[in-house]
Amino acid sequence: MAKQLAFHFNSSLCNGCKACVIACKSKNALPVDVNYRRVYEYGGGGWVADPMAPAFLTPNNIFVYSLSVACMHCENPACVDVCPAKAIEKRDDGIVVVDSDKCIGCHYCSWACPYGAPQFDPEEGTMRKCDMCADVVDEGGTPYCVSACPMRALDFGELEELRAKYGTVAEVAPLPPADITNPAFVLTPHRHSQPVGSKVGRVYDDEV
Amino acid sequence: MMETREWALVTYTILSQMAVGSFLVLGAVHFLAQRKAGEAEADRLSDRALLAIGPVLVLGVLASLLHLGNPANAYRAIANIGSSWLSREIFFTMAFTGVGFVFAIMQWRKLATPAIRNAVAVLAALIGVVAVYSMSHIYMLANQPTWNSAATPLSFFCTTLLLGSLAIGVALSANYTYLKSRKSAALDVQANLLRDALRWIAVAAIVVLGFELVVISASLIDFGSGDAAASLVNIAEDYNTLFILRISLVFLGAGVFAFFLYRTASVLGQERVLFALVYGAFALVLIAEVMGRYLFYASHIKIGF
Ligand code: SF4
Ligand code: SF4
Repeated sequence: MAKQLAFHFNSSLCNGCKACVIACKSKNALPVDVNYRRVYEYGGGGWVADPMAPAFLTPNNIFVYSLSVACMHCENPACVDVCPAKAIEKRDDGIVVVDSDKCIGCHYCSWACPYGAPQFDPEEGTMRKCDMCADVVDEGGTPYCVSACPMRALDFGELEELRAKYGTVAEVAPLPPADITNPAFVLTPHRHSQPVGSKVGRVYDDEV
Repeated sequence: MMETREWALVTYTILSQMAVGSFLVLGAVHFLAQRKAGEAEADRLSDRALLAIGPVLVLGVLASLLHLGNPANAYRAIANIGSSWLSREIFFTMAFTGVGFVFAIMQWRKLATPAIRNAVAVLAALIGVVAVYSMSHIYMLANQPTWNSAATPLSFFCTTLLLGSLAIGVALSANYTYLKSRKSAALDVQANLLRDALRWIAVAAIVVLGFELVVISASLIDFGSGDAAASLVNIAEDYNTLFILRISLVFLGAGVFAFFLYRTASVLGQERVLFALVYGAFALVLIAEVMGRYLFYASHIKIGF
Protein backbone atom coordinates (compact mmCIF):
# COMPACT_ATOMS: atom_id res chain seq x y z
CA MET A 1 0.00 0.00 0.00
CA ALA A 2 1.21 3.45 -0.88
CA LYS A 3 2.22 5.75 1.88
CA GLN A 4 -0.60 7.98 3.10
CA LEU A 5 -0.06 10.59 5.80
CA ALA A 6 -3.19 11.46 7.77
CA PHE A 7 -4.60 13.44 10.68
CA HIS A 8 -6.24 12.01 13.75
CA PHE A 9 -8.66 14.14 15.75
CA ASN A 10 -10.08 13.29 19.15
CA SER A 11 -13.41 15.05 19.48
CA SER A 12 -13.88 13.91 23.09
CA LEU A 13 -10.73 15.80 24.12
CA CYS A 14 -11.24 18.97 22.09
CA ASN A 15 -12.47 21.95 24.11
CA GLY A 16 -12.94 24.21 21.09
CA CYS A 17 -10.13 26.61 22.02
CA LYS A 18 -8.99 27.04 18.38
CA ALA A 19 -5.27 27.02 19.21
CA CYS A 20 -4.84 24.79 16.12
CA VAL A 21 -6.53 27.42 13.94
CA ILE A 22 -4.26 30.16 15.26
CA ALA A 23 -1.07 28.08 14.98
CA CYS A 24 -1.95 27.29 11.35
CA LYS A 25 -2.85 30.87 10.67
CA SER A 26 0.48 32.19 11.89
CA LYS A 27 2.57 29.43 10.31
CA ASN A 28 1.03 30.10 6.91
CA ALA A 29 0.55 33.88 7.34
CA LEU A 30 -3.08 33.55 6.26
CA PRO A 31 -5.24 36.56 5.42
CA VAL A 32 -8.31 37.38 7.52
CA ASP A 33 -10.89 35.21 5.76
CA VAL A 34 -8.65 32.27 4.92
CA ASN A 35 -8.44 29.44 7.46
CA TYR A 36 -6.90 26.16 6.41
CA ARG A 37 -8.02 24.66 9.70
CA ARG A 38 -11.38 25.52 11.23
CA VAL A 39 -13.11 24.40 14.43
CA TYR A 40 -16.84 23.82 14.12
CA GLU A 41 -18.97 23.71 17.23
CA TYR A 42 -21.94 21.42 16.63
CA GLY A 43 -24.77 21.29 19.11
CA GLY A 44 -28.47 20.92 19.69
CA GLY A 45 -31.12 19.90 22.15
CA GLY A 46 -34.57 21.01 23.13
CA TRP A 47 -37.00 21.68 25.93
CA VAL A 48 -39.51 19.32 27.52
CA ALA A 49 -42.31 19.90 29.99
CA ASP A 50 -41.28 19.12 33.54
CA PRO A 51 -43.32 16.02 34.56
CA MET A 52 -43.81 17.44 38.08
CA ALA A 53 -44.99 20.83 36.83
CA PRO A 54 -46.04 20.72 33.16
CA ALA A 55 -46.12 24.51 32.90
CA PHE A 56 -42.33 24.57 33.29
CA LEU A 57 -39.94 23.61 30.53
CA THR A 58 -36.62 21.97 31.28
CA PRO A 59 -33.69 21.48 28.92
CA ASN A 60 -33.52 18.06 27.32
CA ASN A 61 -30.89 16.18 25.30
CA ILE A 62 -28.56 19.18 25.21
CA PHE A 63 -25.29 18.35 23.51
CA VAL A 64 -22.37 20.15 21.97
CA TYR A 65 -19.03 19.04 20.60
CA SER A 66 -16.29 20.48 18.42
CA LEU A 67 -14.62 19.25 15.28
CA SER A 68 -11.29 20.55 14.03
CA VAL A 69 -11.36 20.29 10.25
CA ALA A 70 -8.67 20.91 7.64
CA CYS A 71 -7.84 19.30 4.32
CA MET A 72 -8.27 15.55 4.71
CA HIS A 73 -5.61 14.73 2.06
CA CYS A 74 -8.19 12.33 0.67
CA GLU A 75 -7.36 9.03 -0.95
CA ASN A 76 -9.89 9.94 -3.61
CA PRO A 77 -9.41 13.71 -3.79
CA ALA A 78 -12.28 15.40 -5.65
CA CYS A 79 -10.20 18.60 -5.86
CA VAL A 80 -7.47 16.88 -7.90
CA ASP A 81 -10.02 15.34 -10.27
CA VAL A 82 -11.84 18.57 -11.04
CA CYS A 83 -9.01 21.12 -11.16
CA PRO A 84 -8.86 22.13 -14.83
CA ALA A 85 -5.30 23.44 -14.55
CA LYS A 86 -3.74 20.38 -12.90
CA ALA A 87 -2.72 22.76 -10.14
CA ILE A 88 -3.51 20.28 -7.34
CA GLU A 89 -1.35 17.25 -6.88
CA LYS A 90 -1.20 14.29 -4.54
CA ARG A 91 2.35 13.68 -3.43
CA ASP A 92 3.84 10.22 -2.96
CA ASP A 93 3.35 10.53 0.79
CA GLY A 94 -0.37 11.25 0.25
CA ILE A 95 -0.25 14.98 1.02
CA VAL A 96 -2.42 16.97 -1.39
CA VAL A 97 -0.87 20.31 -2.37
CA VAL A 98 -1.95 23.27 -4.50
CA ASP A 99 0.62 24.85 -6.80
CA SER A 100 -0.46 28.48 -6.89
CA ASP A 101 1.76 29.16 -9.89
CA LYS A 102 -0.53 26.90 -11.91
CA CYS A 103 -3.89 27.86 -10.34
CA ILE A 104 -6.24 29.94 -12.47
CA GLY A 105 -8.48 30.86 -9.54
CA CYS A 106 -11.63 29.26 -10.95
CA HIS A 107 -12.91 28.09 -7.51
CA TYR A 108 -13.91 24.71 -8.94
CA CYS A 109 -11.96 22.77 -6.29
CA SER A 110 -13.84 24.59 -3.54
CA TRP A 111 -17.18 23.53 -5.07
CA ALA A 112 -16.09 19.91 -5.25
CA CYS A 113 -14.38 19.52 -1.86
CA PRO A 114 -16.84 18.44 0.86
CA TYR A 115 -14.50 19.66 3.64
CA GLY A 116 -14.26 23.35 2.72
CA ALA A 117 -10.50 22.93 2.45
CA PRO A 118 -9.49 24.95 -0.64
CA GLN A 119 -9.96 28.62 0.11
CA PHE A 120 -9.60 31.61 -2.13
CA ASP A 121 -6.91 34.15 -1.32
CA PRO A 122 -8.22 37.42 -2.76
CA GLU A 123 -4.77 39.00 -2.62
CA GLU A 124 -3.14 36.29 -4.72
CA GLY A 125 -6.22 35.47 -6.80
CA THR A 126 -5.49 31.79 -6.27
CA MET A 127 -6.60 28.92 -4.05
CA ARG A 128 -4.74 28.00 -0.92
CA LYS A 129 -5.10 24.96 1.24
CA CYS A 130 -3.61 23.00 4.11
CA ASP A 131 -0.47 21.16 2.95
CA MET A 132 0.01 19.37 6.29
CA CYS A 133 2.99 21.67 6.84
CA ALA A 134 4.79 19.69 4.11
CA ASP A 135 7.99 21.71 4.58
CA VAL A 136 8.10 20.79 8.27
CA VAL A 137 7.04 17.18 7.66
CA ASP A 138 9.77 16.78 5.02
CA GLU A 139 12.29 17.67 7.73
CA GLY A 140 10.82 15.01 10.02
CA GLY A 141 8.75 17.50 12.06
CA THR A 142 5.11 17.69 13.13
CA PRO A 143 2.38 19.92 11.63
CA TYR A 144 1.93 23.11 13.67
CA CYS A 145 -1.73 22.44 14.54
CA VAL A 146 -0.80 19.09 16.09
CA SER A 147 2.00 20.63 18.17
CA ALA A 148 -0.18 23.55 19.27
CA CYS A 149 -3.16 21.64 20.68
CA PRO A 150 -3.14 21.98 24.49
CA MET A 151 -5.53 18.99 24.84
CA ARG A 152 -3.44 16.72 22.59
CA ALA A 153 -6.60 16.21 20.53
CA LEU A 154 -4.72 16.20 17.22
CA ASP A 155 -2.26 13.66 15.94
CA PHE A 156 -0.76 12.87 12.60
CA GLY A 157 1.08 9.96 10.99
CA GLU A 158 0.70 7.06 8.64
CA LEU A 159 -3.02 6.40 7.98
CA GLU A 160 -2.81 2.64 8.60
CA GLU A 161 -0.95 3.17 11.88
CA LEU A 162 -3.46 5.78 13.04
CA ARG A 163 -6.30 3.41 12.19
CA ALA A 164 -4.65 0.59 14.12
CA LYS A 165 -4.29 2.90 17.10
CA TYR A 166 -7.57 4.84 17.05
CA GLY A 167 -10.07 2.91 14.90
CA THR A 168 -11.62 3.62 11.55
CA VAL A 169 -14.34 6.21 12.21
CA ALA A 170 -14.07 9.14 9.79
CA GLU A 171 -17.54 10.68 9.87
CA VAL A 172 -20.04 12.14 12.33
CA ALA A 173 -22.46 15.05 11.89
CA PRO A 174 -21.83 17.63 10.48
CA LEU A 175 -18.97 16.08 8.47
CA PRO A 176 -19.86 14.79 5.00
CA PRO A 177 -20.13 11.01 4.44
CA ALA A 178 -16.62 9.61 4.12
CA ASP A 179 -17.37 7.66 0.95
CA ILE A 180 -17.41 10.84 -1.17
CA THR A 181 -13.61 11.30 -1.09
CA ASN A 182 -12.18 8.69 1.35
CA PRO A 183 -10.52 11.17 3.70
CA ALA A 184 -7.15 10.28 5.21
CA PHE A 185 -8.66 10.98 8.60
CA VAL A 186 -9.26 9.09 11.80
CA LEU A 187 -11.80 10.39 14.28
CA THR A 188 -12.29 9.54 17.91
CA PRO A 189 -15.91 10.63 18.35
CA HIS A 190 -17.30 12.60 21.27
CA ARG A 191 -19.74 10.64 23.44
CA HIS A 192 -22.54 12.90 22.20
CA SER A 193 -21.62 12.54 18.54
CA GLN A 194 -24.57 12.41 16.19
CA PRO A 195 -24.50 10.10 13.16
CA VAL A 196 -23.39 11.53 9.85
CA GLY A 197 -26.29 13.16 8.00
CA SER A 198 -28.17 13.81 11.25
CA LYS A 199 -30.09 17.08 11.31
CA VAL A 200 -30.75 17.25 15.05
CA GLY A 201 -28.06 19.82 15.73
CA ARG A 202 -26.54 22.76 13.96
CA VAL A 203 -23.16 24.44 13.60
CA TYR A 204 -22.97 27.33 16.04
CA ASP A 205 -19.86 29.15 14.91
CA ASP A 206 -19.61 28.75 11.19
CA GLU A 207 -17.84 32.08 10.74
CA VAL A 208 -14.57 30.31 11.51
CA MET B 1 -26.38 37.40 -2.07
CA MET B 2 -24.16 36.62 -4.97
CA GLU B 3 -20.96 38.33 -5.91
CA THR B 4 -19.53 39.51 -9.22
CA ARG B 5 -18.03 36.07 -9.65
CA GLU B 6 -21.39 34.34 -9.77
CA TRP B 7 -22.84 37.03 -12.00
CA ALA B 8 -19.97 36.38 -14.36
CA LEU B 9 -20.98 32.71 -14.42
CA VAL B 10 -24.66 33.53 -14.96
CA THR B 11 -23.71 35.81 -17.88
CA TYR B 12 -21.27 33.34 -19.36
CA THR B 13 -23.49 30.25 -19.17
CA ILE B 14 -26.56 32.08 -20.50
CA LEU B 15 -24.70 33.73 -23.39
CA SER B 16 -22.79 30.64 -24.48
CA GLN B 17 -25.93 28.49 -24.32
CA MET B 18 -27.82 31.11 -26.30
CA ALA B 19 -25.04 31.09 -28.92
CA VAL B 20 -25.12 27.30 -29.27
CA GLY B 21 -28.93 27.28 -29.38
CA SER B 22 -28.99 30.04 -31.99
CA PHE B 23 -26.57 28.11 -34.14
CA LEU B 24 -28.72 24.96 -33.95
CA VAL B 25 -31.98 26.78 -34.66
CA LEU B 26 -30.49 28.85 -37.46
CA GLY B 27 -29.19 25.66 -39.03
CA ALA B 28 -32.69 24.17 -39.00
CA VAL B 29 -34.22 27.39 -40.37
CA HIS B 30 -31.67 27.54 -43.17
CA PHE B 31 -32.18 23.90 -44.03
CA LEU B 32 -35.95 24.29 -44.35
CA ALA B 33 -35.69 27.61 -46.20
CA GLN B 34 -33.21 26.08 -48.64
CA ARG B 35 -35.63 23.31 -49.53
CA LYS B 36 -38.46 25.73 -49.97
CA ALA B 37 -36.89 28.67 -51.75
CA GLY B 38 -33.40 27.64 -52.78
CA GLU B 39 -29.90 28.38 -51.60
CA ALA B 40 -29.76 32.10 -52.44
CA GLU B 41 -32.96 33.07 -50.63
CA ALA B 42 -32.08 30.89 -47.64
CA ASP B 43 -28.71 32.62 -47.36
CA ARG B 44 -30.38 35.99 -47.64
CA LEU B 45 -32.65 35.02 -44.78
CA SER B 46 -29.99 33.71 -42.41
CA ASP B 47 -26.48 35.03 -43.19
CA ARG B 48 -26.72 38.20 -41.09
CA ALA B 49 -28.18 36.29 -38.16
CA LEU B 50 -25.23 33.91 -38.36
CA LEU B 51 -22.78 36.79 -37.99
CA ALA B 52 -24.64 38.04 -34.92
CA ILE B 53 -23.80 34.84 -33.01
CA GLY B 54 -20.07 35.68 -32.91
CA PRO B 55 -20.29 38.76 -30.69
CA VAL B 56 -22.63 36.92 -28.28
CA LEU B 57 -20.01 34.20 -27.81
CA VAL B 58 -17.16 36.68 -27.44
CA LEU B 59 -19.12 38.58 -24.80
CA GLY B 60 -19.76 35.32 -22.95
CA VAL B 61 -16.11 34.31 -22.99
CA LEU B 62 -15.07 37.74 -21.69
CA ALA B 63 -17.58 37.35 -18.85
CA SER B 64 -16.15 33.93 -18.03
CA LEU B 65 -12.69 35.42 -17.55
CA LEU B 66 -14.17 37.72 -14.89
CA HIS B 67 -14.78 34.81 -12.57
CA LEU B 68 -11.13 33.75 -12.59
CA GLY B 69 -8.95 34.99 -9.77
CA ASN B 70 -5.85 34.58 -11.88
CA PRO B 71 -6.75 35.08 -15.58
CA ALA B 72 -3.04 35.24 -16.47
CA ASN B 73 -2.99 31.45 -16.06
CA ALA B 74 -6.18 30.93 -18.10
CA TYR B 75 -4.22 29.18 -20.83
CA ARG B 76 -3.79 26.27 -18.39
CA ALA B 77 -7.54 25.71 -18.18
CA ILE B 78 -7.63 22.73 -20.54
CA ALA B 79 -4.68 20.95 -18.93
CA ASN B 80 -6.88 18.40 -17.15
CA ILE B 81 -9.16 17.40 -20.02
CA GLY B 82 -8.75 13.76 -18.98
CA SER B 83 -10.74 14.18 -15.75
CA SER B 84 -12.11 17.72 -15.34
CA TRP B 85 -15.45 18.63 -16.91
CA LEU B 86 -14.41 22.26 -16.65
CA SER B 87 -11.42 21.59 -18.92
CA ARG B 88 -13.70 19.68 -21.29
CA GLU B 89 -16.26 22.46 -21.35
CA ILE B 90 -13.61 25.07 -22.14
CA PHE B 91 -12.10 22.87 -24.83
CA PHE B 92 -15.43 22.24 -26.58
CA THR B 93 -16.54 25.87 -26.27
CA MET B 94 -13.29 26.93 -27.92
CA ALA B 95 -13.71 24.29 -30.60
CA PHE B 96 -17.31 25.42 -31.21
CA THR B 97 -16.11 29.02 -31.52
CA GLY B 98 -13.32 28.00 -33.89
CA VAL B 99 -15.34 25.74 -36.19
CA GLY B 100 -18.29 28.12 -36.03
CA PHE B 101 -16.00 30.97 -37.07
CA VAL B 102 -14.62 28.99 -39.99
CA PHE B 103 -18.16 28.15 -41.06
CA ALA B 104 -19.24 31.79 -40.81
CA ILE B 105 -16.35 32.88 -43.04
CA MET B 106 -17.10 30.13 -45.56
CA GLN B 107 -20.78 30.98 -45.59
CA TRP B 108 -20.20 34.73 -45.84
CA ARG B 109 -17.73 34.48 -48.69
CA LYS B 110 -19.46 31.45 -50.21
CA LEU B 111 -16.32 29.34 -50.10
CA ALA B 112 -16.50 25.66 -51.09
CA THR B 113 -19.78 23.99 -52.04
CA PRO B 114 -23.01 24.27 -50.04
CA ALA B 115 -22.65 20.59 -49.18
CA ILE B 116 -19.21 21.11 -47.64
CA ARG B 117 -20.46 24.19 -45.80
CA ASN B 118 -23.36 22.16 -44.44
CA ALA B 119 -20.97 19.50 -43.22
CA VAL B 120 -18.88 22.11 -41.38
CA ALA B 121 -22.06 23.57 -39.86
CA VAL B 122 -23.22 20.15 -38.64
CA LEU B 123 -19.80 19.57 -37.07
CA ALA B 124 -19.93 22.92 -35.27
CA ALA B 125 -23.46 22.18 -34.06
CA LEU B 126 -22.44 18.79 -32.65
CA ILE B 127 -19.46 20.33 -30.87
CA GLY B 128 -21.78 23.00 -29.47
CA VAL B 129 -24.09 20.33 -28.03
CA VAL B 130 -21.12 18.57 -26.43
CA ALA B 131 -20.00 21.92 -24.97
CA VAL B 132 -23.38 22.50 -23.28
CA TYR B 133 -23.40 18.89 -22.06
CA SER B 134 -19.91 19.34 -20.57
CA MET B 135 -20.96 22.63 -19.00
CA SER B 136 -23.82 20.92 -17.21
CA HIS B 137 -21.54 18.15 -15.96
CA ILE B 138 -19.32 20.69 -14.19
CA TYR B 139 -22.07 20.94 -11.59
CA MET B 140 -22.73 17.24 -11.16
CA LEU B 141 -20.55 16.76 -8.09
CA ALA B 142 -21.16 14.14 -5.42
CA ASN B 143 -21.22 16.76 -2.63
CA GLN B 144 -23.66 19.08 -4.45
CA PRO B 145 -27.05 17.33 -4.21
CA THR B 146 -29.02 20.23 -5.70
CA TRP B 147 -26.89 20.26 -8.82
CA ASN B 148 -26.14 16.56 -9.07
CA SER B 149 -29.24 15.48 -10.99
CA ALA B 150 -30.45 15.02 -14.54
CA ALA B 151 -32.31 18.31 -14.12
CA THR B 152 -29.04 20.20 -14.60
CA PRO B 153 -28.27 19.05 -18.16
CA LEU B 154 -31.97 19.02 -19.07
CA SER B 155 -32.55 22.58 -17.92
CA PHE B 156 -29.32 23.77 -19.58
CA PHE B 157 -30.57 22.35 -22.86
CA CYS B 158 -34.00 23.95 -22.33
CA THR B 159 -32.29 27.31 -21.90
CA THR B 160 -30.17 26.61 -24.98
CA LEU B 161 -33.17 25.88 -27.19
CA LEU B 162 -35.54 28.49 -25.75
CA LEU B 163 -33.11 31.37 -25.98
CA GLY B 164 -31.65 30.07 -29.22
CA SER B 165 -34.98 29.92 -31.02
CA LEU B 166 -36.26 33.28 -29.80
CA ALA B 167 -32.90 35.00 -30.41
CA ILE B 168 -33.01 33.73 -33.99
CA GLY B 169 -36.59 35.00 -34.25
CA VAL B 170 -35.29 38.43 -33.26
CA ALA B 171 -32.31 38.26 -35.61
CA LEU B 172 -34.42 37.18 -38.60
CA SER B 173 -36.91 39.97 -37.92
CA ALA B 174 -34.15 42.54 -37.65
CA ASN B 175 -32.66 41.21 -40.90
CA TYR B 176 -36.02 41.61 -42.63
CA THR B 177 -36.37 45.18 -41.38
CA TYR B 178 -32.88 45.85 -42.74
CA LEU B 179 -33.62 44.32 -46.16
CA LYS B 180 -36.77 46.41 -46.32
CA SER B 181 -34.95 49.61 -45.42
CA ARG B 182 -32.60 49.06 -48.33
CA LYS B 183 -35.62 48.72 -50.62
CA SER B 184 -33.72 46.04 -52.50
CA ALA B 185 -35.35 43.43 -54.70
CA ALA B 186 -38.83 42.11 -54.12
CA LEU B 187 -39.26 40.86 -50.57
CA ASP B 188 -42.23 38.56 -51.01
CA VAL B 189 -40.17 35.40 -50.78
CA GLN B 190 -38.32 36.69 -47.72
CA ALA B 191 -41.56 37.74 -46.06
CA ASN B 192 -42.97 34.26 -46.53
CA LEU B 193 -39.83 32.53 -45.31
CA LEU B 194 -39.74 34.79 -42.28
CA ARG B 195 -43.34 34.09 -41.35
CA ASP B 196 -42.76 30.37 -41.74
CA ALA B 197 -39.66 30.52 -39.59
CA LEU B 198 -41.44 32.52 -36.90
CA ARG B 199 -44.28 30.02 -36.83
CA TRP B 200 -41.86 27.16 -36.29
CA ILE B 201 -39.97 29.15 -33.70
CA ALA B 202 -43.22 29.80 -31.82
CA VAL B 203 -44.06 26.09 -31.86
CA ALA B 204 -40.54 25.18 -30.71
CA ALA B 205 -40.70 27.70 -27.86
CA ILE B 206 -44.03 26.33 -26.64
CA VAL B 207 -42.82 22.72 -26.77
CA VAL B 208 -39.56 23.49 -24.94
CA LEU B 209 -41.46 25.58 -22.39
CA GLY B 210 -43.66 22.59 -21.61
CA PHE B 211 -40.61 20.42 -21.18
CA GLU B 212 -38.86 23.00 -19.00
CA LEU B 213 -41.89 23.26 -16.70
CA VAL B 214 -41.88 19.47 -16.32
CA VAL B 215 -38.14 19.49 -15.50
CA ILE B 216 -38.60 22.27 -12.92
CA SER B 217 -41.52 20.51 -11.22
CA ALA B 218 -39.70 17.17 -11.20
CA SER B 219 -36.59 18.73 -9.66
CA LEU B 220 -38.66 20.41 -6.95
CA ILE B 221 -40.22 17.08 -6.04
CA ASP B 222 -36.74 15.54 -6.04
CA PHE B 223 -35.41 18.32 -3.77
CA GLY B 224 -38.25 17.62 -1.37
CA SER B 225 -37.13 14.05 -0.83
CA GLY B 226 -33.39 13.69 -0.59
CA ASP B 227 -30.42 15.62 0.73
CA ALA B 228 -31.42 18.54 -1.41
CA ALA B 229 -34.47 19.31 0.73
CA ALA B 230 -32.60 22.23 2.30
CA SER B 231 -32.36 23.77 -1.13
CA LEU B 232 -36.13 23.68 -1.47
CA VAL B 233 -36.42 25.42 1.90
CA ASN B 234 -33.95 28.00 0.58
CA ILE B 235 -36.06 28.65 -2.48
CA ALA B 236 -39.28 28.70 -0.48
CA GLU B 237 -38.00 31.06 2.19
CA ASP B 238 -35.57 33.40 0.50
CA TYR B 239 -36.35 33.30 -3.16
CA ASN B 240 -40.04 32.52 -3.53
CA THR B 241 -40.88 35.84 -5.21
CA LEU B 242 -38.03 35.46 -7.66
CA PHE B 243 -38.97 31.86 -8.35
CA ILE B 244 -42.62 32.68 -9.05
CA LEU B 245 -41.60 35.65 -11.20
CA ARG B 246 -39.20 33.46 -13.15
CA ILE B 247 -41.90 30.87 -13.88
CA SER B 248 -44.46 33.53 -14.78
CA LEU B 249 -42.13 35.37 -17.16
CA VAL B 250 -41.03 32.27 -19.03
CA PHE B 251 -44.67 31.21 -19.31
CA LEU B 252 -45.66 34.64 -20.58
CA GLY B 253 -42.80 34.82 -23.08
CA ALA B 254 -42.55 31.28 -24.41
CA GLY B 255 -46.23 30.45 -23.87
CA VAL B 256 -48.57 33.42 -24.26
CA PHE B 257 -46.41 35.59 -26.54
CA ALA B 258 -45.37 32.57 -28.59
CA PHE B 259 -49.00 31.55 -29.03
CA PHE B 260 -49.91 34.97 -30.44
CA LEU B 261 -46.71 34.96 -32.46
CA TYR B 262 -47.87 31.75 -34.13
CA ARG B 263 -51.33 33.19 -34.79
CA THR B 264 -50.02 36.49 -36.13
CA ALA B 265 -47.38 34.85 -38.32
CA SER B 266 -50.06 32.69 -39.92
CA VAL B 267 -51.76 35.63 -41.60
CA LEU B 268 -50.31 38.14 -44.04
CA GLY B 269 -49.30 41.63 -42.96
CA GLN B 270 -49.33 42.88 -39.37
CA GLU B 271 -45.55 43.13 -39.34
CA ARG B 272 -45.42 45.63 -36.48
CA VAL B 273 -47.44 43.35 -34.19
CA LEU B 274 -45.39 40.37 -35.29
CA PHE B 275 -42.08 42.01 -34.49
CA ALA B 276 -43.35 43.37 -31.18
CA LEU B 277 -44.31 39.82 -30.23
CA VAL B 278 -40.92 38.36 -31.22
CA TYR B 279 -38.92 41.01 -29.41
CA GLY B 280 -41.22 40.84 -26.40
CA ALA B 281 -41.05 37.05 -26.16
CA PHE B 282 -37.26 37.10 -26.40
CA ALA B 283 -36.91 39.80 -23.74
CA LEU B 284 -39.25 38.01 -21.32
CA VAL B 285 -37.60 34.63 -21.76
CA LEU B 286 -34.12 36.12 -21.46
CA ILE B 287 -35.02 37.78 -18.16
CA ALA B 288 -36.70 34.58 -16.94
CA GLU B 289 -33.71 32.40 -17.82
CA VAL B 290 -31.27 34.81 -16.17
CA MET B 291 -33.42 34.65 -13.02
CA GLY B 292 -33.50 30.85 -13.28
CA ARG B 293 -29.72 30.66 -13.57
CA TYR B 294 -29.33 33.08 -10.69
CA LEU B 295 -31.50 30.79 -8.56
CA PHE B 296 -29.43 27.80 -9.70
CA TYR B 297 -26.32 29.37 -8.18
CA ALA B 298 -27.92 31.12 -5.22
CA SER B 299 -30.08 28.33 -3.80
CA HIS B 300 -27.81 25.30 -4.11
CA ILE B 301 -26.65 23.54 -0.99
CA LYS B 302 -23.54 21.58 -0.31
CA ILE B 303 -22.89 18.47 1.77
CA GLY B 304 -20.21 19.20 4.36
CA PHE B 305 -18.59 22.61 4.56
S1 SF4 C 1 -10.27 17.54 1.83
FE1 SF4 C 1 -10.91 18.56 -0.04
S2 SF4 C 1 -9.09 19.68 -0.69
FE2 SF4 C 1 -8.39 18.14 0.78
S3 SF4 C 1 -7.82 16.38 -0.51
FE3 SF4 C 1 -9.95 16.08 0.15
S4 SF4 C 1 -11.15 16.90 -1.56
FE4 SF4 C 1 -9.07 17.72 -1.80
S1 SF4 D 1 -9.13 27.37 -8.15
FE1 SF4 D 1 -7.06 26.79 -8.79
S2 SF4 D 1 -6.62 24.91 -7.67
FE2 SF4 D 1 -8.83 25.21 -7.57
S3 SF4 D 1 -9.69 24.08 -9.32
FE3 SF4 D 1 -9.36 26.18 -10.04
S4 SF4 D 1 -7.31 26.15 -10.92
FE4 SF4 D 1 -7.47 24.29 -9.66
